[in-house]
Formats: sequence, structure tokens, C-alpha cells
Amino acid sequence: MSIADQALTEDLASRDDMIVCTGVSKWFGDFQALKGVDVTVKDREVMVVLGPSGSGKSTLIRCINRLEVHQEGSIVVDGIELTNDTRNIERIRSEVGMVFQQFNLFPHLSVIDNVTLAPVWVRKKSKVEAEQKAMELLERVGIPEQAQKYPGQLSGGQQQRVAIARSLAMEPKVMLFDEPTSALDPEMIAEVLDVMKDLARGGMTMMVVTHEMGFAREVADRLVFMESGEVVEVGTPEHFFTNPREDRTKLFLSQIL
Amino acid sequence: MSDVTMTPTSPPNGASSRTSPLQWVRVNLFSSVSNTIQTIVFTAITLGLLRALLGQVFSEEADWTSVSTNLRLLMIYNYPADQIIRIWVSAAVVLLAAGLSLGAWKVEPGYTVGRLGRHLVGLGLFCLVTRLLLPVHAPDTVRTWLIIIGVVSLVAGVVVQRADPDGDRVMGFGTVLSGVALTFLAVLWLVPFGQYGLVDGVLVAESGTTVASSTKVPWTVLLIIVVASHRVGIILGRALGRSLRAGLAAFWVVGPAFVIFVILRDPAFDWAHVWSTDIPIAAMFALGGAAVLYFVAAPGKTEVARALGAMLFAFALFNWVAAFFGWYPMLQKVRISFLIFAIVVLLVPAFAGDRSTRRRVAGGWVAAMVVFHWLLTAINTESTLVITAPPFLGGFVLTVGIAYYVMLASFPLGVLLSLARTSKLPIFRVMSTGYIEVIRGVPLITVLFFFSIMLPLFLPKGMGISDLAAVFAGYTVFSAAYMAENVRGGLQSVRRGQYEAADALGLTTVQRTSLIVLPQALRVSIPNLVGQAIAVFKETSLIAIVGGFDLLRIANSTIPNQPDFLGQKRPGLLFISLVYFVFAYSMSKSSQRLEARLKDAQAR
Repeated sequence: MSIADQALTEDLASRDDMIVCTGVSKWFGDFQALKGVDVTVKDREVMVVLGPSGSGKSTLIRCINRLEVHQEGSIVVDGIELTNDTRNIERIRSEVGMVFQQFNLFPHLSVIDNVTLAPVWVRKKSKVEAEQKAMELLERVGIPEQAQKYPGQLSGGQQQRVAIARSLAMEPKVMLFDEPTSALDPEMIAEVLDVMKDLARGGMTMMVVTHEMGFAREVADRLVFMESGEVVEVGTPEHFFTNPREDRTKLFLSQIL
Repeated sequence: MSDVTMTPTSPPNGASSRTSPLQWVRVNLFSSVSNTIQTIVFTAITLGLLRALLGQVFSEEADWTSVSTNLRLLMIYNYPADQIIRIWVSAAVVLLAAGLSLGAWKVEPGYTVGRLGRHLVGLGLFCLVTRLLLPVHAPDTVRTWLIIIGVVSLVAGVVVQRADPDGDRVMGFGTVLSGVALTFLAVLWLVPFGQYGLVDGVLVAESGTTVASSTKVPWTVLLIIVVASHRVGIILGRALGRSLRAGLAAFWVVGPAFVIFVILRDPAFDWAHVWSTDIPIAAMFALGGAAVLYFVAAPGKTEVARALGAMLFAFALFNWVAAFFGWYPMLQKVRISFLIFAIVVLLVPAFAGDRSTRRRVAGGWVAAMVVFHWLLTAINTESTLVITAPPFLGGFVLTVGIAYYVMLASFPLGVLLSLARTSKLPIFRVMSTGYIEVIRGVPLITVLFFFSIMLPLFLPKGMGISDLAAVFAGYTVFSAAYMAENVRGGLQSVRRGQYEAADALGLTTVQRTSLIVLPQALRVSIPNLVGQAIAVFKETSLIAIVGGFDLLRIANSTIPNQPDFLGQKRPGLLFISLVYFVFAYSMSKSSQRLEARLKDAQAR
């Protein structure tokens, strides 16, 4: 049984494949950041990727929406293979939303303009329709009153929530999170995690790179532990935290828990 | 509670942080021994320089009549006197648009009553100090007036400042404009500097006349237009908002060209030719193009647009090659229109959208084509003006006209160059780097020479280029290279995360560049870009070398060559220095305001 199929419960196994990474390798010059990574994310699954820094977890999810280019192996998102064909890349990017560690909001646009920009220009929606949807999303993430403010006037937690709303405005099938709370002050982490939990409950397929163990234990369907560019272990939260198989996993958990 | 509230608190009453003037002087000027020495030395130097300047201004040899009699020459050079109404109409059009723009964009200089008070005090002190430093032979009127203005300003300043000690009461821009206009009008109508007439070969002041006797009325009308249009601009801005601003922006791109080539030049349209050839061509491009664009701007037509655009682009380029070898005749304007159309078709997919967007794209195209063809026809038609010596533009009008259009044209060219220089494709990078480095390594004069004298030799037979166009083209090519480097600095300041976020959202490269990257890059580059614009304005004096009669040439050679004022350079040069300074300083100040305003919006 390949490492990707480990820990598949019956329920998970019956779902469609959303993201399939097979033998993905990536080099930065001579340095190999990903070594033959096999990972499968199922429909409506929340997968959390853990690991020490430099383990390749961010590189992996950045490969999925082509912010990084993988040299070996294949990545298939919702049946579309990720190749150099720009049409495939555009289709995949329209189905995959991403939330960054540094928020990356557009500072020269107001919050509502940030959220409506992509729907208007990429999905060609009308401004009125886009703004309506944007206000709904801002309410969903809890900050409708900040709509006319600029990102520079918001706190970190609010900015990250706007970033989540901005990605959701494109109605993606998959949401990727690259350490969404690592740049936040502790008192603001909870509000962002609440939004993410709400998303997970709503059935969004999520792939989250994070150090928040509480979140992982509570929300994840499966956990992936990576180190030095390899997938070391995949497991459900119960298995992972109480009885990990690999020694390297045990070492990592002892360091952070 | 995780929300950050932004209620500002004011300092406790009475505990103002403003120090008294005496305290300020003691702290800032005389706080330590070295500070005191510096203050004394630099004050002495400044007063010495001021005295030298005053010596020049009021020297016995300096004859200010050389400036006052030649004001028309300095402003408009050889423009025929009987057509001068056109100059006034042009000025009225420009000032009307300026007033509307200042109102529509809610420009507020943030001038407070307290500041006004301080400036009045400063003016008063300046006048009194100048009075003390005046050379002995300065006229008595000047002496008395300096004391009067000095004392009145000082007192008024103190009173005004008392009315607003904390500097909070902001005066609206309309008030400031009206104040400036009234002051200007008062000088125009009341100050008796006199009109000069020739009596027995000697210039004699005619008593009872004021400095602007022939231009008082037009100036008054112009000032009223500015103040009134500012008011109207504010009102219309509230009602129409975006459409007004879009319309004004469009005006500022083509309007001045209209002013120069239609109003000032008064082309004699050959109506038969216009109806048979020019209008049909314009209509074909406008309406035909609009139909194509309406079709292609629909979502999902990206492939069609790219294919069509590529074909049109190839066709347009082929036309130029054919023209060079003379294979088949085609009007210049048709060739240019095809090229522009090709480029627009290529760019349209990035801005495609629903019905209303498509209608706006098509409508915009029709308007642009109509204006473009009208302008081209006007430029290619003979002028009815009787000019004693070409070109028909000279003096201040030439300086401002060239500077304005060079700034306007070199900016987008510079942006494109810098985007090419930072692009991933090697061909763009190499070509644009070559262009920028070659142009930056060469003096402006060389470029101007090349375009006015060498370029006509390279053009195919039958294609000519007027002096004005050559100067404009050369200067634009030159300035674009510098603008490109400024914008490149701004581009490098945009964080990578912005690119990644735009990519993750699915924006195309064109959309990402125009909606996300450029707005941020340009905000950062504004100080450098405005500095470049100021340099463009001042370096227009080099046009003199290729035959243009700009402000400097008139002051430096034309006036000193007149029989009445042989060899009199200094008054003219001092005067135009003042003119250059006033404009450069206003540009610099407005750029500071622009930066502050953009920073407020981002509130980083």
C-alpha cells in the first residue's frame, strides 16, 4: 500500500480524488526540495501538512497551483493535469484558492475592491453582483463593517480573514493554506482558525500547512508529516498524536508538543 | 475584542505644543555655540546674496523696460497680432479645464488660516529686510511701497494668526483661488507701472496707465473663469463623479493638441476633400472597429481576439514595409489606424466583460477614432495664419506646449520600456535595455539634432516631418528612457507576494500588471517621475539649438538684439528665471500633495 493510501478510512476512500501528487520532485538548482512526494487529497477532505522548516511543505502546496514548477512526477487537480500548458494552469488556478502567510492583500485597493477584483476581471461578473457576494463573504468571515477600509488600516487577523474572503470569492473547489497564522500575534490566531474551521465544516477541500496542533487535531481528516522533502508518515489525528509509526515523527512531535 | 478602533484623541486643553516665537528662536537657532555660529554665518551669507540680487534687480544699467515691452514676445513670440483672440480663447479653454479638474478631483492644498498668518508675517519681514538691503539708487516708489507692504503684512499676519493659533481652520481651495485671483487682479488694475511708448527714439512711460493696459480685460475674464469653473467642478464632481473625471482625463490627453493645432493654427479645411476622403476613412475605422471590438470583447472570445490581433498586427507592419519600398500607396493615417486597431484588439481580452463593458469599449473606440482622425486631418491641413517667421509657436507657449506633450507621451512609453526591461522574454529585455542605455549615454542636444536634421534623410520619399514634430519626437524618445528607469525602480519595490496573489486569483499577466503591479510601482516612483517632468520643462531651452524660439532664446538672444535694448540680458534672464521657478516649484509642491493623498488612502 503506497504511503498515499495510508490511513484512508472507508468514508474517505469512497470519495473522488481532488489532488493527486505522484512522485513529485523539485530541485532549486542543486538542492532537492521535494523527493518523490506521493499525496492524495480526497474531495471535502481537510489535510494538514506538518513538518520542520525546510521540509518542503510550502514548496509542495505552491507546486499545486504552479507558483513553483515541479521537474518530475505529476500533479492532477480535479482531473486536470498540471503541465506547462497555460490553459491547464489557468483552469487549475480558477479552481484552487490560496491563502498566504503574509496575507498579500492589495494595499492600494479597499477591502471590498480586493474581494471583488478577481470575480469582476477573471469571471467577468458585474460589479453589483460581485459586491453583493463580497459582502456576504465578509459577513461570513466576520468583518462586514471593514468593507471600505484599506488593508493598512486593519489588524493582521482581519487582513488574513479578508484574504480568505478574497479567495472564496472565486468559488474554488480546493483551498490551499500556507502557514496562514504564522505571521499573526497570538490573540488573533483564534479568529482566523475559527473561519477555517467553519470552512471545513462547510465541506471545503482544504490542504493546510500549519504549526497549529490544536487545529490539526480538531479539524484534520488526515495529517501528513514531511521532512527533508519526503513524506514520512500519513495518518488520522488519533493515530498520529497517540501512536505514530515512524521514529522521525515521534522525534518531531516530542519537540513541539 | 479583536477589532482595532481608530478614534483619535486630542491633547488636553491649553497644553498646546506650540512654542512662542522667542522660544523657537532660542531652541532652533541659538541652542549651542556651534549652532549660534552657524546661524550667524548662514544668515550673513543669505543677506549678502539677497543684497547682490537686489543690486542686480535695481542696478542702473538694468532696464526693466526690456522685459515689460517684450512681454508679448516672451509669451507668444511671432503669433500674428490680429489673431490674438485665439491665444485668449486657448488660455480660456485650458484654464476652464484646469478649474474643473481641480474641483472634480477635490484638490485641497490643506492651507490653514494659521498658515496664511505665518506666511503674511514672513512676507512682511521679507519686505522690511529687503527695504534695508536696497541699493542706494533704487527708485523711491519701491522704497515706500516695500515699507507699506511690509508693515501691513506683518500686522495682518499677526492678527490672522491670532484668529487660528493652532492652525486648524482649513481654507477651502476655492477660497485660496479666489484670494490669489483677487490679488492678481488688484495688481493688474491698480498698480501704475505704466505703458511705455516711443517718444523721439526714447522709451517713455505714459502716465496714468497700468502694467497690463491691453490685457487687463482678458486676464480678468480668465481669472473669473478659473474661480467659477473650480466651483462648478466641485458641484459636478459630486453629481457625475467618475464620468466627469474620465471626460476630463480624456480632455487632458487630446485637448491641448486641439488647442495647438485647431484653435491656434486655424487650419483651412478643404471641405470637399474632407467629405470625400477623410470622413469616410474615419467612419470606416470608427464604426467598423467598434463592431469588431464589441464582438471580440465578449468573454470566451480570447482565442479569436488573439488570432485576429496577430493577423492585424502583421498586416499593419507589412504596410509600413510596403510604404518604405513604395509597393502600393496607402495614406499615412490609414496605416497608423490599422496599427492602433491591432494593438487594441490584442489587449481587449484582458478587459472583456458583460454587455455594458462591451458597449463602453466600443463607444470609447468610436470617440477615440473620431478625435484622432479629426486631429490628423487638422495637422495635415495648411494653416491660415500669416506667420512672419515659422514656426507659429514660440516663447512661453512653445515651452509649455512642448514640455506638456513630451511629459504626456514619454510617460506611457517609459512605462512600456520598463515593463519590457523587466520582462521574462529575452528579446524585449535586450531591445529595451539597449534603447535605454544608448539614450541615457547621449546628450539631449544630440538626440534633438538627430531627429531634426538626420531623421528626415532616412525617411522614405514623400514622407516629411515638421520641425515641431521632430523636436517633439526626439525629446519624447529621450525622456522616455529616464522615465523608464524611474518606473523600474518602482517596479522593483513591489513585493513578490503581490505577483503570487494575483496569479493565484487567476489574473492574466496584462491584468496583473495594470491592476496590481503598476498602481503600486507608480505610487513609489512619483517623486522621481515628477523630478523628471520638472527637468523636461526646464530643458526645453535646448530646443533653441534646433531652431525653436523658446522662452530662454528670446530672453537671451532676441531681446538683446533689438536696437532699443542692445546687449541687455540680465533683466530678461532674471524674469524668465522667476517664471521657470514658479512653475517648477508648483509642480514639486503638487507632487508632494499627491504623494500625501495617496498615502492617506493606503494608510500603511
